[in-house]
This record gives sequence, structure tokens and C-alpha cells, in this order.
Amino acid sequence: MKLVQEHRLLLYKVCRLYCFTEADRQDLFQEIVIQLWRSYPTFRGESKFSTWLYRIALNTAISDLRKQNRRPSTTSTDEIPPSLPDMTWPGEEEQQLQQLYAAINRLSDVEKALVMLYLEDKPYEEMEEIMGINQNNLRVKMNRIREKLRKMTKEATYGIR
Amino acid sequence: MELDNLKYAWRTLAAPPASERSPEEIHALLQKRSGGIVTRMRRNLTGELILIAATYTPAILFYFLDFEGKLSGIAWLFILLLTILAVYFFRKNQLLKAMQCTGCSLYSNLLQQINTLKKYIRFYVWSGTLMIPVMFILSWLIIRQKFPAAPGADLFYQLSGTPWWQHPLTWAVLLIPVTVGIYFINLWYVHRLYGRHIRKLQDLLQEMEEE
Repeated sequence: MKLVQEHRLLLYKVCRLYCFTEADRQDLFQEIVIQLWRSYPTFRGESKFSTWLYRIALNTAISDLRKQNRRPSTTSTDEIPPSLPDMTWPGEEEQQLQQLYAAINRLSDVEKALVMLYLEDKPYEEMEEIMGINQNNLRVKMNRIREKLRKMTKEATYGIR
Repeated sequence: MELDNLKYAWRTLAAPPASERSPEEIHALLQKRSGGIVTRMRRNLTGELILIAATYTPAILFYFLDFEGKLSGIAWLFILLLTILAVYFFRKNQLLKAMQCTGCSLYSNLLQQINTLKKYIRFYVWSGTLMIPVMFILSWLIIRQKFPAAPGADLFYQLSGTPWWQHPLTWAVLLIPVTVGIYFINLWYVHRLYGRHIRKLQDLLQEMEEE
């Protein structure tokens, strides 16, 4: 419980990325906590605790069928609102983050995980451990995502396609 | 928008009030039922097992105790069927337990889920299909033992020495189309249940493998 308390911000960020409504976020938060609780006895310290925590959180968020129906489709961009509901973001930095969240919503589940790890400043070595994708492939994917996000922001700001 | 410029803001982003949770609240979360797909599948499996045991047990007791034990053969056949079902549930539960490895990397977990889910689907289809011949054979044994034929009842009896409803050929003729039909129904049903999920997992895996 102490570990959940300590890492709740990380867990909440995962929930924010993968769920669209507050109710779904609460459900996912609960599910991740349950999975952490169940899996903790199997944690042998072979990897860093944060690596293990990310694995649990992202595995739960990505491979759970229940939340698929509640998430906006990553392919149908028309249905995606420009910003996330029920949040207020004062300040320029926060506004940028709001834009970022809106753009991230249009990425696939795997891309979302990569963006999150990148923003958390995880080295490629740790990203490889979490994702199971080799570092070269991760770099290629990250470059593509960066370009994609840049393009999306341009589209949103200037209406350029 | 440059991702690198957002790193600081992202990491210092304050948690919204909704994420503030006391130890008591987290404890309460752990008391709730998990809504994960595998947990739900295991819960349903336990429910099915309890339902089957609750249905078969009175039937077994009935055939053992009533009719002065003359129909105890039927009770034994039910016990045999219950044993087959217990093996079926055990295997299904084993597969469900092996389905998730949340502590593994995302790629390994997806691969494990897909492979186990495919095994689960194969097992579901084949066991559901093979259950039909087993049921037919057991029903035939019961009918043959417990319902003696009236000699000379019909032409079939006169030709074969057995009434048509006891003759293995009649059962075989019925068995083949029913088994084939059940196979396709099972196949359709299992893909309706898990088809979308497995496609989604395969798409994710493919995306991870792409360079």
C-alpha cells in the first residue's frame, strides 16, 4: 500500500493515457492496484522496482478487453475532442500538456506507452526491459512518434493537413 | 510541439485530487472484485462448475437411492460425466492461470496471452465438440440397459434383432451431423467471444514487431 501511495502519480498518468472518462480511470486504477497486489510476491528484484511497476501498469492498461469499448478509437480521429474533459489547466506549460494529451489520444496503445516512458525520461535500456522491444527498433519508433505528434500539433494549430 | 520540451512539465505534473488516496481507500480498492478479463473468465468458470455440481449431485443421489438402487448404473454414468467435466474445468483453469504475466515485458505478455488464448480456444472447441459423442454413447448405454425392447415390435427389429432406437447405426447416423454442427457452432461462438480480443492483441504484437 505504501508503494501504491508512493507511485500513485505514475499510476494515475497511465490511467489518464489509456482511459477517456474519470469512471474508466478509476476502474483502471483499481485494476492496476489489484494486479500489483497479486504480482508483488513474484517480484524478485531482478529488475528495478519502477521497471516492474511500469510493466504491471502498462500490461493491465493495454491488454484488458474491458476498457477497449470505452476508449475512443485511435483510428477514428473525428471522434476525438480537442482536449480532455473535466480538467482545468492554467498556464502555458499546462496548456501544452493539454495539447499533448489530446494528440496522444490519437496514438496507438503501444505508441502511448512509448511516449509516456520517453516523457518520464527512461533510458532506452529500461524502455527495452519494459516493452520487450530492442533499442534500435525503439529509437526508430520514437522518431516516428515525434514526427507524428509534430504533424498533429500543426494540424490542430494551423489546420494544415 | 516538441516532446523534449514537455518532459519537465510532464514529470512535475501535479496529481489531480481524484488520485489522492488514503491507505484505507487503497485497502478498500483491494477488497473489490477485479474486472480484468482473465479474472472474469475464471470467475465464470467457477460459477459453471458450481452450477454443474449442484445439478448433477441431486441426480446422482436420486438414481442411487430411489428405485431400490436398480438404476444406480445411471448414477455411475453421471459420476463418469462429472469426472470428465472436472478434468475439462481443471484444464481450462490451468490455461487461464497461464494467460497473463503482468510482471513480464509488454511483448512477452502479449505473446503469452495470444498463445494461451489460442490454446484455450482450441480446447474449448474440441472439448465442446467431443462432449457430444460422449453424451451420445452414455445415453445409448443407458437406453440399452434400462429400456428393454419389446420383441417383434417393428420391421427393423425383425431384421436386426434390435429396435431401431437401440441400434448403434441409428446413433451413428445421428451422431455425425450433430457433432459436425456442434463443432461449427462452437467455433462461431468462441470467435464471437474472443475473436475481437485476440485480433486486438495480434495487432498490438504486430505493431511492436514492425521496424
